[in-house]
Amino acid sequence: MSIVTISHLRKTYGPYTAVNDLSIDVPEGCVFGLLGPNGAGKTTTFKCMLGLARPTSGSIAYDGQPLTPAKFDTIAYVPERSVLYDWMTVAEHVEMQRRAYASFEVKHAHELLAQFNIDPRKKTRALSKGMRTATMVALAIARKADLLILDEPTSGLDPINQRHVLNLIINESARGATVIFSSHQIGQVERAAERIAVIDRGNLALEGAVDDLKAGRKIVEAIFPSEALSLNGISRDGRILRVDRSGRIVRLLVSNDSAEFVAKLEALGGTGVRIVDLNLEDIFLYAVAPQETTADVVEGAIK
Amino acid sequence: MPVVLTVDPRSGVPIYLQVIEQIKRSVALGILGTGEQLPTVKQLALDLTINPNTVAKAYRELERDGVIDTAPGRGSFVKSNGAADSTKAAARDVARDVVDAAVREAKSIGLKADDVQALVTESIDRWFTEQP
Repeated sequence: MSIVTISHLRKTYGPYTAVNDLSIDVPEGCVFGLLGPNGAGKTTTFKCMLGLARPTSGSIAYDGQPLTPAKFDTIAYVPERSVLYDWMTVAEHVEMQRRAYASFEVKHAHELLAQFNIDPRKKTRALSKGMRTATMVALAIARKADLLILDEPTSGLDPINQRHVLNLIINESARGATVIFSSHQIGQVERAAERIAVIDRGNLALEGAVDDLKAGRKIVEAIFPSEALSLNGISRDGRILRVDRSGRIVRLLVSNDSAEFVAKLEALGGTGVRIVDLNLEDIFLYAVAPQETTADVVEGAIK
Repeated sequence: MPVVLTVDPRSGVPIYLQVIEQIKRSVALGILGTGEQLPTVKQLALDLTINPNTVAKAYRELERDGVIDTAPGRGSFVKSNGAADSTKAAARDVARDVVDAAVREAKSIGLKADDVQALVTESIDRWFTEQP
């Protein structure tokens, strides 16, 4: 069942379109990774989900209902930029959270801060960028929220603390919470996320289970005897997402059934046919690659 | 449990398949003994820093393949009923993937079935000579 359903979300700021037409379903209990180049619309999407920005059109529903104040209290949000008060100590932030949220666990918050080696007596202005991120993550985790929305929750952290944040996300998932997080570190998303969405220029470029994407998306590569080859229109196959040619070498990016395309390329006279696995970074880069160039290559390959 | 699993999340091989392969390998090699308990889903997820549902999926497939048994509330164990069979099956699964990849590669660089057959026979002769 979906905990959040985003339908045809559109958000414009004057002439600028931050999110064009975005539809995403986030299953309950899922760790969901949101990827996209800078300015793709990730933060705007989060703000619309939290009611911090009003969608120009489209809707966001929680368990089928619009966001209510009661629902809002079950969502913990870590924004990309620090929202801590410079003049307050970390301990004072803990106290503020305790007063704001009935489910907030003070003891757990202090344990989490200790795990990050954050001294609660410090004023937050004395914390480094990474330690501010860690403080916000600790405060969010201690909320025992049903849904956590984390915008770049590892930014500015060293590798050890990045790993620790990922384990906190995994722990939240194991207790049944849903976590939606964005990150530029694709390797982290690859580890922690079960499903991902790639947003590009305000549109959904790709969505799916990480395992399915990796199992399905492959490059099938073949060498042909001559450059004047005909692919017999197989590049019109919907499962072929992209065709690249360089001389006698043809590479197909397929969404599924790579073994079938091995056979097809061999039947067309291709030799040295091999299947190349793709990691999430490759899949991401193909998803946000300019489509015009792809179209040109496909045109050339069809003949 | 003594088994140290590692996963490479940057690999193109889905993480749950990496977990399955490594547990099968551990069973085949006897590193994981009959009846031995596997870490809980949550523990292994935290140890490897991977999604808990990914671990759960790997355990489900291992159970379906007859390698482990999962008792609700008690945990997952290397199958004790017919452990010899599951060990053998696990070893065969691991080896099949390796042989399959090699044969596919040989075919892709232009070898015929006879040539590949000859190579496999040659390899068997080389590695199994000391067997009684």
